[in-house]
Amino acid sequence: MRMAFAVLNPFAGVLVFVTTMLAFSASPHAQQPDAVAISVKGHHFQPAEIRAPANRPLILRVKNLDATPMEFESVSLRVEKVVAPGGEGVINIRPLAPGRYEFMDDFHQETRGTLIVQ
Amino acid sequence: MTRATARLLDHRLAYLGAAAAILATVVRSEAQDDSAFHEIETKYIFGFTIGSSVGLEGEKAFEPITVGRFGKRTGTYAATETVLEYEFTPTQYMQIELGPTVSYYNVHNVTDIADRSMASLNGFVGEFRYLVLDRGLSPFAVTFAAEPEWRSRDETTGEKVVNYELETRVEADAELIKNRLFLGLNLLYEPETTRADLGAWSNESTFGTSAALAFQIIPKVVVGAELWYLRHYEGLAFSTFTGDAVFLGPTFYWKISPKILVSAAWNTQVAGHETGSVSALNLMDFSRQRARLLLEFEF
Repeated sequence: MRMAFAVLNPFAGVLVFVTTMLAFSASPHAQQPDAVAISVKGHHFQPAEIRAPANRPLILRVKNLDATPMEFESVSLRVEKVVAPGGEGVINIRPLAPGRYEFMDDFHQETRGTLIVQ
Repeated sequence: MTRATARLLDHRLAYLGAAAAILATVVRSEAQDDSAFHEIETKYIFGFTIGSSVGLEGEKAFEPITVGRFGKRTGTYAATETVLEYEFTPTQYMQIELGPTVSYYNVHNVTDIADRSMASLNGFVGEFRYLVLDRGLSPFAVTFAAEPEWRSRDETTGEKVVNYELETRVEADAELIKNRLFLGLNLLYEPETTRADLGAWSNESTFGTSAALAFQIIPKVVVGAELWYLRHYEGLAFSTFTGDAVFLGPTFYWKISPKILVSAAWNTQVAGHETGSVSALNLMDFSRQRARLLLEFEF
C-alpha cells in the first residue's frame, strides 16, 4: 500500500494540477467581448494600428484581401491563426492590461501592426 | 595548486572571457536599429532555465529535446536522454507536451556504475504548463509547470528499473530592456521513486534554483548565461541531504525561420559538495558537465 502510494502520489498531484488548469482555462468571461475588425491588403494591415479598451475580452476579425494565405500571429497576444485568401479569421483575445501589443503576418514578416490597449 | 583547482580556475577564466565578449558585442549592438528587434517567446532563450511563455493558442510543434550529462570522478561517462515531444497550446494560458524518451549511455570504468554502451527506448514524459501571472500586470510573468515521467532505465546508470519522476517548476521572467534583455528565474522541485532489480522502492528528490540573463544580440539570435544551484536528497521531502552543486554556462537561441528554432546550453559544475567527502565537486549526484539541445519544428 505504501509502495502504491509512493508511485501514485506524484501522479495524483499532476491530476489535481491539470484539473485546476482546465478549470481556470474553461472559466467563462462574464463580460461581452468587444469586436475589432482589421484587414490585410497588399501585405499591409489596414489599419496598422488598432485600439481596444483594457480589461475586456476582445474578438478580432481579420480579413485577408490578398491572393495568398496569411497567418495572423502575436507573441504578446499569444494567438496565431491562418487566414485563407479572401477569407476571414475570428480570434478571441483575453482581457488585456493597458499597453502596446505587436502583431504580424508570420508568412510575410514585414507585415506588422500594433494593438493599443488603454 | 591542485589539478582540480587549476581546472576550476580555467573554467572561471573561460567564463569571464565569454562574458567580456558578450558585453563587448552588447555595447557594439547598441548602435543597431532597435526597430529591427521584435518580441520573442521566452520559453527557450535561457537554456536549462525555462522562460514563462506558454506559446500561442492553436500552435502545434514537434520538438526533439536532448539533455546530456558528461563526466564522473573516474572513467568515461556520457548519458543522454532525448524526448521526442509533441507540443500544443490549447488556450492562451496553458501548454501541454507529450512524448517518448530515448536514452543513450556510454559508461566505462566509472566507480559504482557498470560499464555500458547502448541506446534504448526508455519511457514517456508529459509536461503541463500554466501561466499564472502575465507580464503587463507585473514586471514578471510566472508559469507553473509539472512534468511527470516514467522511465524503464535509470537516468544515470542505465540499469533496468521502474522509475517515476515528477519535475515541478516555477518559471519566472522579466523583460529588462524591451525586446532585447531578459532575466529568467526558476525554482525546481523534482521528487522521484525508483524500483531496482531487488524490488525495493527508493525515493530521492532534487531542489534547485536558477538565474539567467539572455540578450537578443541580433534579430532572432539570443545569447546569454545561466547559473544553477542544485541540492540532492534521499527521500521525497528533503529528509536526508546528500550533496549540492553549482552549474554555470552559456546559452544560445536562434529562430532560424518562422517555424524552426534551435536552443542550446552548456553547463559546467563549478562548485559542489558531497556529504562525507572533501572533494571539490559533487560527482556522485550530478555530472561534471551537462548540455541541452532543442530543435522546434512548428506546423
